[in-house]
Amino acid sequence: MSPLLWGGLFGLLSGTAIALAALFGVWWERKVSGRMQMRFGPQQAGPAGLLQTLADTIKLVLKEDVTPAAADARIFRMAPLLVFAPVALSLLVVPLVTGWAPLDSGVGVLLFLAVPSVSVLGVLLGGWSSANTYGTLGGLRGAAQMVSYEIPRTLSVLALVVVAGTMRPSALMGAWRLWWLPLFAVAFVVYLISSIAELNRGPFDLPEADSELVAGYFVDYTGIRWAIFMMAEYGGMLACSLFGAAMFLGGTNGLPGLLGALVLLVKAVAIVTVIIWVKWSFPRFRQDQLMRLAWKVLTPIALVQLLVAGAVAVVWLR
Amino acid sequence: MAEVRRPDADATFMNATEPAKTGLDAFVSAWRSLTTGLAITAGRASHKPTTLRYPFEKLSMSPRWRGALRLRGVLGRDDVALLSASPPHHNETIAGLLAVDRLPPCVGTCPANVDARGQNYLIADGRVAEAYELVRERNIMPGVLGRICHHPCEGACTRARYDQPIAIRPLHRFAQESYAEVRAERVKPLPVTQEARVAIIGSGPSGLSAALDLMSLGYAVSMFEKDDKPGGALYSGVPAYRLPREVLHSEIDDLVTMGLDLRCGVEVGRDVTLPDLRRDHAAVLIAAGLQISRILPIPGADADGVRGALEFLRKANWEGEAGVRGKRVLVIGGGNVAVDVARCALRVGATEVRMASLESMEEIPAHPWEIEEALDEGVIATCSVGPEEVAVEDGHVVGLRVRECLSVFDETGRFAPKMGEATHVLETDVVVFAIGQASVLEAVVAGTDVELNERGNLKADGTLFTTSGAGVFACGEVVTGPGSAIGSIATGHEAAHSIHRFLQGVDLAADRTLRPVPVFEKYERASLQGVEEERLRAPMTMEDPIERVKDFRPVESGLLHSGSQHEAARCLRCSSEVCVGCTFCARTCPDYCITVERVDTPGARCVTRYDLDLSKCCFCGLCAEQCPTNALTHTGQYELSFYHRELTLFDKGEMLRDPLPTRATGRDGIEAPACDVPSGEVERP
Amino acid sequence: MPVEVESKRPVIDELGREVDELVVNIGPSHPSTHGVCRIIAHLDGEIVVKAEPVIGYLHRGIEKMAENRTYLQVVPLTDRLDYVGSMYANWAYCRAVERLADIRVPERAEYIRVIVCELQRIASHMMGVGASGADTGAATVFIYAFEVRERIVELFEELCGARLTYNYVRPGGVSADLPDGWIERCREVVRWAPDRLLELDRLFFGNYIAAERMKGIGVLSQSDAIAWGASGPTARASGVTFDIRKNDPYSVYPRIDFRVPVGENGDCFDRGRVKVLEAIESCRIVDQALEQIQPGPVAAEGLPRLLRPRAGDAYDHIESARGSLGVYLVSDGSPRPFRMHVRSPAFCNLQLLGLLARGHTVSDLVVILGSLDPVFGEVDR
Repeated sequence: MSPLLWGGLFGLLSGTAIALAALFGVWWERKVSGRMQMRFGPQQAGPAGLLQTLADTIKLVLKEDVTPAAADARIFRMAPLLVFAPVALSLLVVPLVTGWAPLDSGVGVLLFLAVPSVSVLGVLLGGWSSANTYGTLGGLRGAAQMVSYEIPRTLSVLALVVVAGTMRPSALMGAWRLWWLPLFAVAFVVYLISSIAELNRGPFDLPEADSELVAGYFVDYTGIRWAIFMMAEYGGMLACSLFGAAMFLGGTNGLPGLLGALVLLVKAVAIVTVIIWVKWSFPRFRQDQLMRLAWKVLTPIALVQLLVAGAVAVVWLR
Repeated sequence: MAEVRRPDADATFMNATEPAKTGLDAFVSAWRSLTTGLAITAGRASHKPTTLRYPFEKLSMSPRWRGALRLRGVLGRDDVALLSASPPHHNETIAGLLAVDRLPPCVGTCPANVDARGQNYLIADGRVAEAYELVRERNIMPGVLGRICHHPCEGACTRARYDQPIAIRPLHRFAQESYAEVRAERVKPLPVTQEARVAIIGSGPSGLSAALDLMSLGYAVSMFEKDDKPGGALYSGVPAYRLPREVLHSEIDDLVTMGLDLRCGVEVGRDVTLPDLRRDHAAVLIAAGLQISRILPIPGADADGVRGALEFLRKANWEGEAGVRGKRVLVIGGGNVAVDVARCALRVGATEVRMASLESMEEIPAHPWEIEEALDEGVIATCSVGPEEVAVEDGHVVGLRVRECLSVFDETGRFAPKMGEATHVLETDVVVFAIGQASVLEAVVAGTDVELNERGNLKADGTLFTTSGAGVFACGEVVTGPGSAIGSIATGHEAAHSIHRFLQGVDLAADRTLRPVPVFEKYERASLQGVEEERLRAPMTMEDPIERVKDFRPVESGLLHSGSQHEAARCLRCSSEVCVGCTFCARTCPDYCITVERVDTPGARCVTRYDLDLSKCCFCGLCAEQCPTNALTHTGQYELSFYHRELTLFDKGEMLRDPLPTRATGRDGIEAPACDVPSGEVERP
Repeated sequence: MPVEVESKRPVIDELGREVDELVVNIGPSHPSTHGVCRIIAHLDGEIVVKAEPVIGYLHRGIEKMAENRTYLQVVPLTDRLDYVGSMYANWAYCRAVERLADIRVPERAEYIRVIVCELQRIASHMMGVGASGADTGAATVFIYAFEVRERIVELFEELCGARLTYNYVRPGGVSADLPDGWIERCREVVRWAPDRLLELDRLFFGNYIAAERMKGIGVLSQSDAIAWGASGPTARASGVTFDIRKNDPYSVYPRIDFRVPVGENGDCFDRGRVKVLEAIESCRIVDQALEQIQPGPVAAEGLPRLLRPRAGDAYDHIESARGSLGVYLVSDGSPRPFRMHVRSPAFCNLQLLGLLARGHTVSDLVVILGSLDPVFGEVDR
């Protein structure tokens, strides 16, 4: 099978997965946040409002695709894809079944951490090219934030790698033991926080802060391009929840086939729920507080965690 | 502005600032605050949502919901319900309307509950004879009361809040004047269907009203009057310049035509006795009224030249001469009788007429318009003086010594005059006491079980109008004391009801609805600024004061025919739930979104268009609050259900004619046929 | 903490190059301008160098319109001044009319006015605090605040048929008496509300992130608060102990026991917290007023439909949710006011924005604006 065909096929599959994730994710978020706010959330479209997102998507697809006159049109149109593609790519390396990942590379973990960084470009270019002060500010905020939070995120995952001694995702998942939970609890929290920040979700949604920058970097996007940004966000949520569940929470727990995948999925949904819960409970940080949290709090903590993990690996496992 | 101080220095202020945390404490409390927040939201998420599903979101509507407006009826097609019922059921009708807040203030305030609203409606419609007959049901002599009534109805008139009250009393008079032409063919004898006969002593207003009620119930009624002409106090007391005698007698003649057996010049106690009457009649009603004037027992009160008011009025009315020609007259008293005496004295040739009242000018009990007319004619008012002694020379009155009066009523409002020190003498030739009247009934009740109290008054029940004698009833001023004509008429109706029950063998009080006495809000005089001339009350034309005092010609000349119909059309038809096109809603609307178009020709009045521009409406509800007829009300329709600007503009057609639920009226819309508009007569204000 | 900045044009960056300030137009249509306000923010990076509020987008000329309307017709106009707290403008206007026309208000009407206005204070503060929550990204706070507000608005709806523009207080009294059972329902609400308000306090003001966002932001000193004519919670958060209910008592407030919360720091956090504590005190006030209220008439007797006060002028003020709300009326003896002027606290408080926002970031700018709690119906009039 030629790599091109393989790539195309995978792209299709991962695109569908992300679309489904967004479909479910938006519904789930609206339901959970609704309950937290004493509401029902969507009810009318489909059973329990499940088809609400589908209806919204159809509406978005049918909307006019507007490119502002002052915008740098080519970059403006490309930016959503630049955000979306890395998310789709990062799903490649997530081990879905015991002992298997679509791309079970020896540097899979590194790939997962590195590829989403390309999204920064999309955010920055999208914000800048729309020739809007809100967009520009949002893009700049996004760039600073996403670059900063990669450090603690990478360090927190690195602690696992040190103990497991492998960067192959499936192997890493297989190496999980119960005592990893207390050992890497701090790392997991750091991973979760920095993932939320990577995804630009509350309380770290500064690039799109609706009360300040209206919608930040995608303020001028409409219809399907805006939908792609949203899909990237929910796809990213799926990717980092699946990855987090696989790496920190034991993934499939060695269960075979679909059963293992189901266990993994349940854990991932739990993580998604926590992300939603946090978003709808807390106010938003300010830019300088966000940076302070990344560099002065999370990075040192992640480093200490790495040190502990290293010590465990060197002293105990050997 | 404010002084600057530490907030915790004062018990009325409290400190809202939290003390700052530092170090580890700050770190721990920061993380704890985050978990607290998560716990709160999770706690809420675990409870059932409190909101409702969208389409059913409003399960109940607030009673004062301000939705779209709805117009119930419209002038021109929806007739006003006339308050007409057989005498025993009239009170129930009134009480029923009062209970549902649909009693017009004029009807509720009138002691006899005369349907003034119905009268105005019929007159405006050109059905004057019907109007007269409607009024006569409760007010047996519309022409008489239309001249002398103290019209409490006009005081309660809702229109007084906006400009001026409707001229209800002059309209009574107008109805009578028009009715005089058709009287001959419309007044018919009433059928006698009952065997029992009723005797009535006295032909005053209360006796006559009882007589009419009883006759309409089918009884044969005999009436005994000691004077040679009927009318009682109306005939002997009320001066002819207020009430021409032909009016009084023509209305009493109508009653005679209906079947009243009127016997004048028969004095009960002299020509015939009460036991005689009781033998021949199943029930007897004493409606004899008050016969004699009270005279203060002050020194000199027995001198020549001291007169009683009633005796004076009788002489003046009947003979046109009272023995005061060329003399000075002093009237003691501040009531309406005193004013009548004073004005009569002028007409019978007194050179100077002075009224001496205990009350001050503000407190004087006579009606202000009477005082005003008297002053116009040249009566001199001396207020706040109390009579002390009559100055007598050679047995003749030469003056009256009076003492100044500081206050008449005490703090609780009781009559307790406080006299001052200063006295002076008012020179006069004749002193007339007009301070009150009393009844003379000893001869009437002699030899029966009907009892009098120690002051010579009849012992009677004030609500059922029974006396101590079985089958003997009493009404009018013998029961109530001095009062108004319309008040006497009201007691006549009640007494007739009691007699009817007595004759039918029904318990007098059981299941009986007594006349309700509703209290309506009194308003100050409204400002007339900016009110168009044609909206104001039709003015009453009056004779010139210099000329009119020369004889007993009527003072008021009455309304013109066209003016009367116009005046009746001013009636707001309160509580009728029919839009009369008064445009008060349009004028009170702060957004100017109401347009009312109407034909205002008397006889062909109708509302032709009622526009409510909902695109401008702010839903303040002032228009509905202002509506005097309750025709404009809020509906339960939700305002936001209007989804298109074009749809928010609708007119009367939509509000009234569409039998299906409309955007404007929701499910409450009523069916109303189109109004016939005479072409070329549409007035567009 | 605010950064020391100077507005200079052109701005010279650290490499000596000339760069322009970034000028961001916040509003007039923006999620956190609380209406239609436009703020021209001159930014150096994210730091606000200068913030100019541009007002007038909601100017309807209400003061001028009042000159063309009768005294009764003006009441619905006052609804539209402070549309978050219509009862206050109704009341302030009616007090001025009553002073002008020498109208005595029945005691029951005064109690009803105090009850509805204290309920209105809770409702209005919930709007303010909820909006502060939304400004900082905590949408749930907004909903929780609105839960309380909704209960109160439902009470109002029952009272006068409207949920926002009540048109309830009238010269001489109120438009309608309390419906049957309203007192019990109201008592239930004010006994239920304090728990909800404390929960809100813990969720929002107790939150670490919210405290970080609001503490030390937009600090208004006591002297500045007085110098700029600030009033209401804005001034009290800075330690100015000024509340018309205490300093110039009106209506039946002297018969009611309550305390007024006052802050020390004058930052956004104190401004918000003062509102929550005030709302809790308002519950106490309403509870006491409901105990004390007696049956009686609710409108002055003998008022003609068309009021014609004597020629002259009158001023009266009340403590609204935003501060000292005054109405000045001049009458020439005709049925329409010759002139009406509204001293609106929101207008005075909004002027502080430029002073407070300087040196803070754009994120803080919206928080500061939210903490001043302007209502543009009242600012622009």
